[in-house]
Amino acid sequence: MNYPFWNVPHIGSGWVIGLIAIFHVMISHFAVGGGLYLPLAERKALREGRRDWMEVLRGHSKFFLILTGVFGAVSGVGIWFAIGLAHPEATSTLIHNFVFGWAIEWVFFMIELSTAAVYYYTWGRVSNELHIKIGYVYAAASILTLVIINGILTFMLTPGDSWLEVAGTGQEASRFWQAFFNPTYWPSLFLRAGVCVSLAGIWALVTCSRIDGVAQPRLKTDLVRWSVKWLVPSFVALPFLLLWYLWQVPESQRALLQLGMQTIGAGAFTQVTRVALLIMLTSATIVGVVYLFAWRSPATFPFSHALAVLLLGLVATASGEYSREMLRKPYVVGRHMFSNGVRKSEVEKFNREGYLTSSPWIATNSTALERGQAMFRGQCGACHTTDAYRSMKTLLAGRDREAVGNLLKILHDYKPDSPYRAFMPPLVGTTNEIQALGDYLAALVAPPAREQAAR
Amino acid sequence: MLHSVYSWVDERLGLEELLHFAQKKAVPEHRHSFWYYWGGISLFFFLVQAVSGVLLLLYYRPGPDAYESVRQITYDIHFGWLIRSTHSWAANLMVVAVFVHMFSVFFMKAYRSPREFGWWTGLGLLMVVMVFGFSGYLLPMDELSFFATKVGLEIPASTPIIGPRLAALVRGGLEVNEFTVQRFFALHVVVLPALFIPLLGFHLWLVQKHGNAMPPSEEAKPVEARRSIPFFPNFLMKDLAMWLISLNVLALLAAVFPWDLGQPADPLKPAPTGIHPEWYFMSQFQVLKVLGQWFPGAAGEILGILLFTGGLILWFLIPLYDVRQKGWRRATYATYFGLLVLAGLVITTLWGYAAL
Repeated sequence: MNYPFWNVPHIGSGWVIGLIAIFHVMISHFAVGGGLYLPLAERKALREGRRDWMEVLRGHSKFFLILTGVFGAVSGVGIWFAIGLAHPEATSTLIHNFVFGWAIEWVFFMIELSTAAVYYYTWGRVSNELHIKIGYVYAAASILTLVIINGILTFMLTPGDSWLEVAGTGQEASRFWQAFFNPTYWPSLFLRAGVCVSLAGIWALVTCSRIDGVAQPRLKTDLVRWSVKWLVPSFVALPFLLLWYLWQVPESQRALLQLGMQTIGAGAFTQVTRVALLIMLTSATIVGVVYLFAWRSPATFPFSHALAVLLLGLVATASGEYSREMLRKPYVVGRHMFSNGVRKSEVEKFNREGYLTSSPWIATNSTALERGQAMFRGQCGACHTTDAYRSMKTLLAGRDREAVGNLLKILHDYKPDSPYRAFMPPLVGTTNEIQALGDYLAALVAPPAREQAAR
Repeated sequence: MLHSVYSWVDERLGLEELLHFAQKKAVPEHRHSFWYYWGGISLFFFLVQAVSGVLLLLYYRPGPDAYESVRQITYDIHFGWLIRSTHSWAANLMVVAVFVHMFSVFFMKAYRSPREFGWWTGLGLLMVVMVFGFSGYLLPMDELSFFATKVGLEIPASTPIIGPRLAALVRGGLEVNEFTVQRFFALHVVVLPALFIPLLGFHLWLVQKHGNAMPPSEEAKPVEARRSIPFFPNFLMKDLAMWLISLNVLALLAAVFPWDLGQPADPLKPAPTGIHPEWYFMSQFQVLKVLGQWFPGAAGEILGILLFTGGLILWFLIPLYDVRQKGWRRATYATYFGLLVLAGLVITTLWGYAAL
């Protein structure tokens, strides 16, 4: 309650982060994998005396520089800006724990940006050996940005028992390394590294598809096939890496997937399970499409087909990121902070003293409906909107005031057998505050008769 | 072992000849080749419809039990929700693919001699697909499908003289009820497939006979500057890749946005606000609505029906009007006509949704 609420109508603040993040992941992972692709392709071209490859690689490095250096960098900053607004408490926790981690990441990031520019602008201006070395420096710096950020991202799903022991004591930073190398760190690192390598191949296919296959059939065939090979390692390893990752996820979070599996017959196949299965399905489609389009007919591989592969990559990446985010439910920082920003340790305090009482953002003379709206924005707004995404109007449709009150009671009591406990945080606050929320929600679902008549 | 089995079958069915034919057959390769895949994509969605439709048939019960059986499919039967969602989404995607295919054929002038019958059978298939969609939409018999069918049947009912009788025949009475469901079911699973499959066979045979048409910009090139790829395996491989992408899109939609089942239909209840037919009938629905407002009484309806019938006849007869291989004035007019139809469909559809 230290921060104002960021109310994003219709799509909700989560999707603002999601839309930027999906776009960013496609580019940032390419920034890592592509950084390895370029010097390795250049080395191969020099060893085999393929001067014709060099012009293509030069063009690819320009595209790479603009895409990663401009759009990648801007969208990366955009994510942090958006999470700071949507989840200030969670962002504060990250900053308090990982401020030095971030500082290190920014050092590598600056090296990455500088060397990407130097690599492009020194084509033909420095010796071939030095040019490749610049490429390797870029590759190393970009891999290290992944190594750092992976620790922070995985922390949010699995902070680990060691860090949780000191959470809330002010001594959290003393367990920096335990939090950083948390249980999902290594499987996630290998998974992301695989995605980086695959995306390097997929983006390279976009560049290669623009080569005139009639005028230069050998060049196009060789480059398309070499780029296709970049997809192989991660697609072979993907099922094993995913299983390893899931094995490291706490049982309580894994239950979210199993919930869908076990109740599939009843149609309650949870969204996260469906989307997680899409990762496998889309990845298999990419393998099939790349084989049929690119490997079988490399010389005639057109730009439109390359874009189709890229879009499939986007679906697979988006599914992966969505599943990872959803697996954290009902937490935003695993077993520490709920998805609405309420710390586990603060539940009792909020129930006793009130959720809104300590907030400077609520006027003391506010009406019950205004307090109800503030409760909604503070505790529900991170995942729900009033009228569109996870709409309260739809979810509560047909319930009268009493039924809404009963639902809120279930969420407040948060009993071990509550069906909502698996993916929703507890509702905190005093009886009056919960009453105000109930009034607000009931008015939302069935507006007062006077208002209806005015419509 | 496998080789000897193949030889045994080959001797009797002549597989080698078929393979040789497929390898000899060439598909033009140019900047508009992308549009060649849409016929195949439409066929793919039809196959999905056939398979998922048969699976739904195992549990669906037409008549008074229709809603309950769809409820069981959606909520009680293992993967029933997925099969139903797949069937519904594939139906919509098939209509999209067929429309894209039709307009790409139109703008590539692929209806010109000797492909006139390809155009006519294609239009016949489109009509059947639209009736497939309309008849299938009612089968769950929930609130939305009931009232949307009721509204949808007002379009043929407005045809002068035969309209009301035709609508009563299709409904099985004066109102949409369980007899309508029974009739729509028979239409959906027996009559329409019996029309569709032979027509599709004829259409595909024509495609094989005449090959893929080239757009005028390619025809203008000298023969030696034109490029082509063998149908087998090159084009077939690309076609399969397109099918894989289509499957992925379908799976994504069916899994992430499962098809909803509303409340059971209740004829005594007032129609929900903003009731409207499926998106592919929205254009006709809106035109009739607007003409009804502009010309009150029967005049608006008659004008609407005349407009649809006249437009469809012109669309049907276009191969007999735009006949020459080289560009001439009529070819330009035909292209303008196509653009007008496309713009008209898009604008009136969007207008229909905006006016809800």
